This record gives sequence, C-alpha cells and structure tokens, in this order.
Amino acid sequence: MTHIIRIGGLAVILAVFGIFFFILKEIIPLFSKAEVVAESVAKTGTSPKVIGVDEWGERPFLYSGGSEIVVLAGEEGARQAVEVPSLAGVEVTAVSYDPVHHRVAVGLADGRVGSFVVKYESVFREGEPRKVDVSVEEEPWYELEAGSGAVRSVSYGDGGSKRLISVVRDEGVAVVQLAQKRSLIGAGKLTRVGETDLSERIRTEVISTVASQNGQAVLMATADGQVHYFLMDAGALDEVQTFQPFEGKPPKRMDYLFGGVSVAMTDESGQQRVFSLFRPEGSNTRLFGQTKEFGPVGEGTPVFASSLRNKSFLCGAGGGLAVRHLTSGATRWEGTAEFEPVAVTIDGKAENFFLAGAEGQVQRFSLHDPHPESGWRAFFGKVWYEGGSEPVHQWQSTGGSDDFEPKLSLVPLIIGSLKGTFYALLFSIPIALLAAVFSAAFLPPAMKRVVKPAMEIMASLPSVVLGFLAGIWLAPLIEDKVPSILLTCLVLPTVALLFGAGWSRVPIQVRHRFEHGREWIVLLPLVLIGGWLAWSLGPVIEKWFFVYTDPSTGKAIADFRLWWPQATGLSFDQRNSLVVGFAMGFAVIPVIFTIAEDALSNVPRTLTAAAAALGASRWQVVRTIFIPVASPGIFSALMIGFGRAVGETMIVVMATGNTPVKEWNIFSGMRTLSANIAVELPEAAPGSTHYRTLFLGALVLFLLTFVLNGVAEVLRQRLREKNKLV
Amino acid sequence: MPRKDFIAIDNFSFSYGAAKVLHGINMDIPEKQVTALIGPSGCGKSTLLRNMNRMNDLIEGVQHEGDIRLDGKSLYDPNVEVISLRKRVGMVFQKYNPFAKTIYENVVFSLRVAGRNKRSELDDVVERTLRSAALWDEVKDRLHTSAFGLSGGQQQRLCIARAIANQPEILLMDEPCAALDPTATLRIEDLIRDLKEQFTIVIVTHNMEQASRCSDLTAFLYMGELVEYDRTLKVFETPKEERTEAYISGRFS
Repeated sequence: MTHIIRIGGLAVILAVFGIFFFILKEIIPLFSKAEVVAESVAKTGTSPKVIGVDEWGERPFLYSGGSEIVVLAGEEGARQAVEVPSLAGVEVTAVSYDPVHHRVAVGLADGRVGSFVVKYESVFREGEPRKVDVSVEEEPWYELEAGSGAVRSVSYGDGGSKRLISVVRDEGVAVVQLAQKRSLIGAGKLTRVGETDLSERIRTEVISTVASQNGQAVLMATADGQVHYFLMDAGALDEVQTFQPFEGKPPKRMDYLFGGVSVAMTDESGQQRVFSLFRPEGSNTRLFGQTKEFGPVGEGTPVFASSLRNKSFLCGAGGGLAVRHLTSGATRWEGTAEFEPVAVTIDGKAENFFLAGAEGQVQRFSLHDPHPESGWRAFFGKVWYEGGSEPVHQWQSTGGSDDFEPKLSLVPLIIGSLKGTFYALLFSIPIALLAAVFSAAFLPPAMKRVVKPAMEIMASLPSVVLGFLAGIWLAPLIEDKVPSILLTCLVLPTVALLFGAGWSRVPIQVRHRFEHGREWIVLLPLVLIGGWLAWSLGPVIEKWFFVYTDPSTGKAIADFRLWWPQATGLSFDQRNSLVVGFAMGFAVIPVIFTIAEDALSNVPRTLTAAAAALGASRWQVVRTIFIPVASPGIFSALMIGFGRAVGETMIVVMATGNTPVKEWNIFSGMRTLSANIAVELPEAAPGSTHYRTLFLGALVLFLLTFVLNGVAEVLRQRLREKNKLV
Repeated sequence: MPRKDFIAIDNFSFSYGAAKVLHGINMDIPEKQVTALIGPSGCGKSTLLRNMNRMNDLIEGVQHEGDIRLDGKSLYDPNVEVISLRKRVGMVFQKYNPFAKTIYENVVFSLRVAGRNKRSELDDVVERTLRSAALWDEVKDRLHTSAFGLSGGQQQRLCIARAIANQPEILLMDEPCAALDPTATLRIEDLIRDLKEQFTIVIVTHNMEQASRCSDLTAFLYMGELVEYDRTLKVFETPKEERTEAYISGRFS
C-alpha cells in the first residue's frame, strides 16, 4: 500500500515537473538572440547603388545606375543581365529602392524622374524545382516643372491609388502626385494629378527626401539638420512639423520602417534615432516624436533595410552591421562584414539579408530570428510603442493589419490577476473565516452537521455557471445599485457588531433562553432589517452624495455610474472588479471555509476546555486558543483560497470585460493571466511569438502561485512550530 | 468557620442524551478540605466533578435534575453567568494541557481574560502562584520560554498554578496524576496537601492510595450512585458497604 502511495506521489511530482518543462520548452526560444550565418561572397563586377531581392531570397539584383540590372542566379557565380531600355543613354544621378513593390526610382541629370519595377515570377515546370524568372516593367517618366538641374534625391511613395514622388534637384524641391483609378475590373491607368513646388517653403538647402509608403507624406532633410514633414491634406501638401533629429547635422539616411509610422534617422556613424507618429494631447494631427535611440555600429556611409515582416531592421556603417528591433529597442544581432556594404536588403520573409559592396560583391546572410519582438523589456518593462506619447505597459497581441505592432507586456495581466484575486479575497476572507470560526467554536453540533455540507455543495458549483450568472445576471443587476451595495457592506457588519455589544448587556435571564450558538435567531431579523434599510437607502445616499453634473447642460443627475468617473477620473464599467469579487468570492468562500473550519475543529478540546475552565468567554477562547492553535491551518486555507482565485479562469473570462488595463480601480474590469490564455490561445499560431508569450504568461502564473505557496509553507511551518502541541 | 456544605449536591441526576450517568446524588463537600471521588471507570465521578463548574454545558444533549449549590447558591440559577462561575471554580485536567504560550502567559491566562493586565500585578501573581504550586524555583529563570519545555510533572504543576492564579475558591482536579510517573505524582500530592489551606479541593482519582494519602473525605461512586461518603480513614479502614470494601481491596475496578 505504501508503495502505491509513494509511486502515486512521485508520479504527481513528475507530472508537475513535466508541465513545468513543457512550458519552459515553449518559452525558451523567446529569449534567444537572432542567429545569423554568413555565406560565401559572389562577385559581379558592377558597383551597385541599390540591391533588391525576391520574396524567397533567391535572386538578388543589383542596379548601379546604368541601363541594366544584374540578377544573380541561385547557383554560384551565375548571373543574368536584364535590360531597362528607357535608361539607355541617360545619366542617372539619384536612385532609391522600395522593397515592398521592388520598385527602383531613378532621377536623371536632366531633371526627369521615373521608375521601373523588378518583376519576380515563380515558374513551375513538371519535374523541375520552382524557378524564379526576373523581368523589368518600366513606368512612365515625369518632367518636373519646379526647380532646375539634376535630380539629387528621389523617393517613390506607393500607396496604391495615391502615390507621391518626392524629388530634390540641384535647385528646387518638388513633389509629383500620381493617382490610379481602381475598379472591379482592375487597376486603371496611372495619371499625374499635380505637382507641388516646395522650393519656396523650405528656405535652406534640401539634401535628401523620403516619401511615405502610403503615398501621403514626404520628409525633407535640410543641410542645417532640420527635417520638414509634409502631409497630403485634401489634395494639397501641408507642412505639419519641422524637427531636428540630430543636433546641428542632417541625418545621412531617413528610412520608413515597416508599417510606415516610424522613421529611422541614421547619422554617419550608424547612430540611430527613431521617430514615430503620435497624437500630442489636445491635437488632431499626428506628429513625429523620438521614441528610440540606438548606438553607433561603425564609421562610414550608413546602409539600411527594413524587414517587411516585422519591426526589425538591418543597419550598418563602415563594416559594422546590426539587426535591431524597433519595439523592444533591442539589438538582435551584431557583426562585421567582410567588405564595406554600399547597399543592403532583407527578403520578404526576413530569412535572408544581402550586402552589396562597392566592387560588386554580394554576400548572403541567413537570418533566423523568429521572435524579434520578445525580450525581458518587451514583457516586463515599459515600452514606447509607435503612436504612443510615452512608454507604457500594454498588452495588445493582435491587430487589424499585418504591419501591426504587437504589444506584449505581461504587466497589465499580472496586475489584472492580482486585482481580481484581491477583490475576491477582500470579499471572501472575512466571510469565510468568520463563518469557519462561528461554525467551529459557536455553532451547536446539530446545526454544524447541516452547515458544513451546504458549504461544500457551494464549492461544487461549476465556475462557468458562476461566471455566466455574474456576467449576464449580476452585473446588470447591481450596475445601478452601487450606493446600495456599498451601504449594505457597511451596515451589515455594523449591525452584527452592535448586536454583539448589545447582547452582552441583555440580562442573563433573557440570554439564558437561547442555547449557546443559537443567538443568531435574534440576530437574523436584525440583519435582514438592516440589509433592507441599507438597500433602500442607497438611492437616497446617491441623491445626497453621488450627483453628477453634466458639463454641457449643467444638469445634475444622481447616478453613481456617472459620478465616479467625474469625481475620480477613473472609468466605470458594468462588468467590473466588484462583480468579479462577488462571483469569485462565492467560489473561494467554500474553499477557505472548509479548510479553516477543519483546522479550527481539530483544536484539541482539552485546550479549549482548559481556557473555558479558566473563565474565558467564548470569544476569548476563540481569540486565545482556537485561532493561534489553528493558525497554520487557517493560513493554508487562505493560501489555497488565494491559489483558487489566482488560477480562476471562467469567472473572470465571463464576468470581466477582459480589458487589459493596468489599474486598481474597483469599478473597471481586468484581464487576468489565466483568462488571457483561455481567450487567446485558440487563436495563436503554434510556435509564434504570441503563442509562446501566452505560455510565458502561464509560467508567470505558475511561478506566482509556486513562490507564494512556497513562502506560505515556510510561514506555516513557523506558525506550527510556534503553536505546536506536545 | 469553614462551611460544612460549601458545595451542596442535592438529589443530582445527570444524563448524556438517553444515557443516565448520575442517579440522585446527595453529598455536602466541606470548605478547605480535600474530597476524593473514587470509583470504577464509568461510575460518573468525572461527570459529577465536571458539573461543579458546568463544564458539561459544552457537550450537546445533556440534561440534569436536582441541584448543585455553591456556598448556598445554585449553579443553575438563570442569573448565574457561567464565566464568573468558572472564575470561582478552577479546574485541573487529567492530561496536562498547558497552552502554546510561555510559562508566564500560561499562569496569567485567567487574569488576562478577566481583563487584568497590569504588569506589576501579573508579576506578583506569577511568583506567588508558582511558589504555591512549588514550581517557582525550577522555572524562575525561564518564565518567558515555552511551557512545552517543562517535564510532564512540571507541566501539570503549571496547570495547577494556572488554575489557582486568579484565586478561585474551589479547585477541581480530574485525575491530575494519571499521566505522571510516581515521583511527579508524589510531588503533586504534596502540593494538594499544601493547597487545601487556601482552597476547597475536589479530586477524582483511580488511585486508592492517592485518595488515602491526600484526601480528608472520600466518596465512592458506583454505577452513577453514591455508595459511601465519609472521612477517608473510615472509608478505607471500616467501609460500611460491601461494594466499597470490594472495590478498595481490589476485587473489581
């Protein structure tokens, strides 16, 4: 028999460890750095201005300003030249590359601007591996009316139906606006709808420009270090903001990051400052503000490529290279190149990146970084997200678009878990412990035999039923009765205490008529009357104290739901912590009660009898004997109740709004770690950062209860030692 | 002049639910004397003792008939507060049961629950009581250590000290030496003889020799009835009843 028990016990421990290791296995990849493997260098002999690559990272192309692009084949050393006929015989003075559309924008010495798109097409032939064919699709040329001289900087912003080409010439700055009609049949012809001359609006010399990927905004960097931000508004370009990314010197590069909300400004050492659009308080226009800063990587001309998958980017200067991540602000990988790159690119899956050197060297690096957005700071630290006006703890794991920036801070969830637990225990501990004391020390055994099983039935209620009732029935019911509830919570204990004080003054002849432990027969009607009075006085209290004044009409409305936000600045939700406190408290009460009652009932009768024989009143026996002797058991009861509340899932899923807010406001909801897992795990792709982060949440929950129970066990042993019986 | 009928038990019957354990007991227990209750197991002697401070109230379904009067006043008078009654009637149990507190706190427990917390007063009481309980010299250096550090005999003397600390009039002892070795038993018996100067002592014992050594009066109970009650010497040497004689000589127990 003991063997079976021992094997069973060991199996339980093994199972717990098994779960622990499974969780650990799922989350360890979150904390690994990027793996980068350099591959061999291919020589092409051209001196490239830009490098681009197809989605699969198979066929990088180089463009060096002539009338052809050089495409590398998959095999070693093989290359193919693809002609761009319209570029024959012209002098190209500015080139830029948009990796999303594989578009190369070119500016000519005669002031014209144009572009061509490198088309990658997968070809499948029977019995052969997939092949990628490369062709070039030329796009129209545009003559500029504004300015004069050669084009020094050009950028093509393709937002689909609305596009911009921003151009810096020797003299003058201009933006060409293009539009494309789109219908059910397909994309229509691209037409030039206008040109804006910005020469007069920027007084200093403009040295570079970049157009946003939505075709709605352009940035112009001037020689004195200013960056001018222009935004399309009702067909016209408005200057919205001028800011200075680096003190006294212009940025060497300006590059939009994936999503088009942030711009990385890079100086000649590879030092980077990232500016993101955010809405300043009281403004409707989004402006750029600095959110991140990254240190230098090397000395030389900076190169930059943004990932098309996530907020990672590759940057380099001199020979130094780094893969960085915008959200977490972490440098995922750092290394040195064998040659100084003049252009870099990342493939569409962010699995390879390519460097191109001045002598036409091309080197492929394979990049393995499945979880760039993770890290201690992302999970537990404050992070300055795109669009935010300050660093925050935020959980928002999914969004409406692919370029959404996941916000994976576990802090609001941990606080949510603790908040739900706190309010549940606030409600349940006093009730459960006092009930246990009353049942163990006061209640006549005949009644105890009814009360205890009744409480145990209460524990068997499925939490989904409790959650359902709390969310659907209780929450709307008590939403407009908050003053009544607060008053009741105040009045009921007061009535009980007053009754106790009064009862001891009642003559012994009257008290004598009630058997010990049956005094509640007198108390019950008082409690009912008190409760009824408090409940009905609630609206009166509301009228006196909780009056909301409508700021626009000046009308006064007695409504706690409106008063609370106005008075405290905190929100009031229907499904709030109060509801959760009641529902989860209901689930926790029987747990605490049962264990605490057992502990109290097991206090040796010899001790309680001795105390009674020494003239201690029942309450004194409870205080001096029952509670100290049973304290280890009571402590266990509290801890198990705590564990129940922390791990409780269904009630919080159903009875809270599941909003991951980071506040202790009793009238707002919460999202707990457990509810978060329940809600999001079915939708998380296995192996994704989101999926693994949910497991991290599970581990945090596990550690939370593990550490707390560990500490509790130590304390319990101390208590037991202190109050041990011979 | 000590009262002859300090505790007057008047036709007292007692039952636990359906089981009647005491049948019309009549006896007067004199003041400042040691009265021993003897009898075989289950004869009701402990029940009788526990009724003298109404400890049986704590048990469910008990009933009584007749009366017990303490100094002329009925214990069952509706005006009697059980708590104040128990302050007058101390009790020592079969198994020593000190609280999980220090020696000092054990002794002053009855004072603290009576709301007397003055340090100097408590210190005096502790010394006086522990001296009365013949424990002072052994524990005076470790008053503030746990009571569980004492030997069994010392713990029982501590329980006696605890029971007499608040100056009760009566001390009930329910087989106080049952869990002790012979040496410790002798010390308790010495103590009992000393304490009768101050208290009226009623002691339940299984040990005939103990009854003969330390009591002034002995009552023999059998099957819930009082068989014989007289001066100890008389009961032991010239018992009137045959059952008494049979019990004392060890023919049944």
